[in-house]
Amino acid sequence: MRLLLTILILLISAPVWSFCGFYVAKADAKLFNKTSQVVLARDGDRTVLTMSNDFQGDVKDFAIVVPVPVVLQKGQVHVGDRKVVERLDAFSAPRLVEYFDEDPCLPRIYMEKQSVPMPTAPADMSRSRAEALGVKIEAQFTVGEYDILILSAKESSGLEIWLRESGYKIPAAAAELLQPYIRSNMKFFVARVNLKEFEKRGFQYLRPLQMAYESPKFMLPIRLGMANAESEQDLVAYILSPVGRAEVTNYRTVKIPSNMEIPIFVKDEFADFYRAMFQRSYEKEGKNSVFLEYAWDMNWCDPCAAEPLTPEELKKAGVFWMNGQDGPATRNFAPVPRQSNVYITRLRVRYGRPKFPEDLVFQVTPNRENFQGRYVLRHPFKGEANCPEGREYRKGLRQRVEQEAQTLAQLTGWDISEIRKKIGIPGSAPVETEPSWWEKIFGEDKDD
Amino acid sequence: MQSKSLLRSFFQDPRDYQILFLLSFLILGVAARDFTLRPDCVAAAILTCLGVQYFADRLFENPNASFRSALITAISLCLLLRANSWTTMVAAALLSIISKFIFTYKRKHFFNPSNFGIVVVLLMMQDGWVTPGQWGEEVWFALFFAGAGFMVVKKVGRWDTTAIFLLCYALLEGVRNFWLGWTWDVYAHRMTSGALLLFAFFMITDPRAIPNHLRGRILFSILVAGLTFVLRNYYFIPTAVFWALFVLSPFTVLLDRLWPAGRFQWILKTAPVPVQSAHTIGR
Repeated sequence: MRLLLTILILLISAPVWSFCGFYVAKADAKLFNKTSQVVLARDGDRTVLTMSNDFQGDVKDFAIVVPVPVVLQKGQVHVGDRKVVERLDAFSAPRLVEYFDEDPCLPRIYMEKQSVPMPTAPADMSRSRAEALGVKIEAQFTVGEYDILILSAKESSGLEIWLRESGYKIPAAAAELLQPYIRSNMKFFVARVNLKEFEKRGFQYLRPLQMAYESPKFMLPIRLGMANAESEQDLVAYILSPVGRAEVTNYRTVKIPSNMEIPIFVKDEFADFYRAMFQRSYEKEGKNSVFLEYAWDMNWCDPCAAEPLTPEELKKAGVFWMNGQDGPATRNFAPVPRQSNVYITRLRVRYGRPKFPEDLVFQVTPNRENFQGRYVLRHPFKGEANCPEGREYRKGLRQRVEQEAQTLAQLTGWDISEIRKKIGIPGSAPVETEPSWWEKIFGEDKDD
Repeated sequence: MQSKSLLRSFFQDPRDYQILFLLSFLILGVAARDFTLRPDCVAAAILTCLGVQYFADRLFENPNASFRSALITAISLCLLLRANSWTTMVAAALLSIISKFIFTYKRKHFFNPSNFGIVVVLLMMQDGWVTPGQWGEEVWFALFFAGAGFMVVKKVGRWDTTAIFLLCYALLEGVRNFWLGWTWDVYAHRMTSGALLLFAFFMITDPRAIPNHLRGRILFSILVAGLTFVLRNYYFIPTAVFWALFVLSPFTVLLDRLWPAGRFQWILKTAPVPVQSAHTIGR
């Protein structure tokens, strides 16, 4: 178990960092502002961590500091492919499925269709100044468009001073936050953009950083990232394992509501729907839970929001145990012979300082029960259907539509009467709820 | 009046409280905590525990034959162990009950049965897992566990084990938290874990499997707390408590030899003792 990421994103000159920006999209990770995405490919004590960010500012202002469990050498750091993270996102995103009711007067046939689916470079700082502050530059190299430093420190105040003197703009209380990591014997991965390399490559965006290391720690250090964030942040973690589903051990891992039938108009508002539903679930679960959005064997999907990743793409996502060989034994599990080699778990965490005091700790379990965030649209049959079954069908349809409206209201907190207004019911009058018995005698009271 | 005395005789055995509380936790978990309990796994655990207990009681001619402990073991397994297949639950239940008859010293078993079943399944089978985060850390849950757990241990006179384990563990985690420089809400978060309290009140306190003498129990609790702390923080094992208890259970035999004392009997120590059964006390 292990891992770490996060993420003080330090700005070198601008006072804000973050994964910020506007998004207009389907229910993929980009739906939410301030969402960072990480991929954790883990087998035994080995981890490949991919950190993808959607940094929108001037790249010269970009810098991150991530606590890592071991010193990383040049070969262990790599620049990944953003498309692979997008592919993982698309494959595991919550999905809408549509069904079309057949003519109730005809024998049944099934049809399914799915939709949506920089200042002075630290290198210039003298090593002796670093030493005087108790900071040791364990490794220093350039990978792709990034300049990387691996630091260890004796004292948090020394590290804080060193970072400031090197031009990193770090939050006021940084020393306090850095100390627990220093004392836990963790190192610091510091990355900033090498402008010359960046321009040479001609990319318009920052590519994800990948690191490979071996450590029993299987965690993500979210705490550092909350240092200068006033509001909650979202993190989507894709955990790839040869064993089974991953979960968080120090917070509850809760399934996102799924397999609900909702009104058809949601098709055009799926992003709004998912945002509202997530926010409501997040509040309902006490704002301190982690949500499971997807857990599936990566060999297949049903329905598929996107094609499963190819072996080549999986390798790019950090999967290092392919070729059918067994992974190393862990403390808790004997080596497992694999038939299907990659199991994906997609977790979404909305975290804020008061409710998430501790870094996330994960474990991989042998749980292979598949789960997906799936929402169902059922289109009513629009034909005549004058047989007795057809009349039955239309009667049932009213109830179904009302039920869908109520489900939607419950999931999102949207106003039920607004929802009812938006629903047009084919072949019948708009659904009205049965007046309660007191309304039947008193009538509806319109007074305030 | 008759129903009152019936009720009294039912709750004369503190295990009845324990069954009631564990059951209510299970229901609470399913209702409010999104446990993914599978009916086939629950049935497998209960039927196997009771069935194996029945045959083992006859085979080993157990004079204290009772289904209560087997039921407690079954519910504990349902609360803690998760599996893909019900056969894994059968294996865990079988191992749990059998351990009571195999690993004995002077007719006293020294492994907590469900702890034994869980750890052996984690170790030997690739199908079982424990979800330490399933309870969350809401304070009211912590209080509920603490209160309910306390009632049970008070009944059986083994509250010392829980208190010393929790004190030691809290102390170790507190010192570490202070040294690392984490804020105290990190500490509170770690200590209010429902899984930790459930363990402290219901697993480590099994009066039949822990040392008989108070001194033995004190030392035993300190050791379990210490090992849990080390495994969790330095070996990064999320299920550290179960491994710590498992590894240290055989030392109960040594501690009992070092400090002998009368062994625990479920019924005799129950207080208050109803008048009509007072004559059994001297036995």
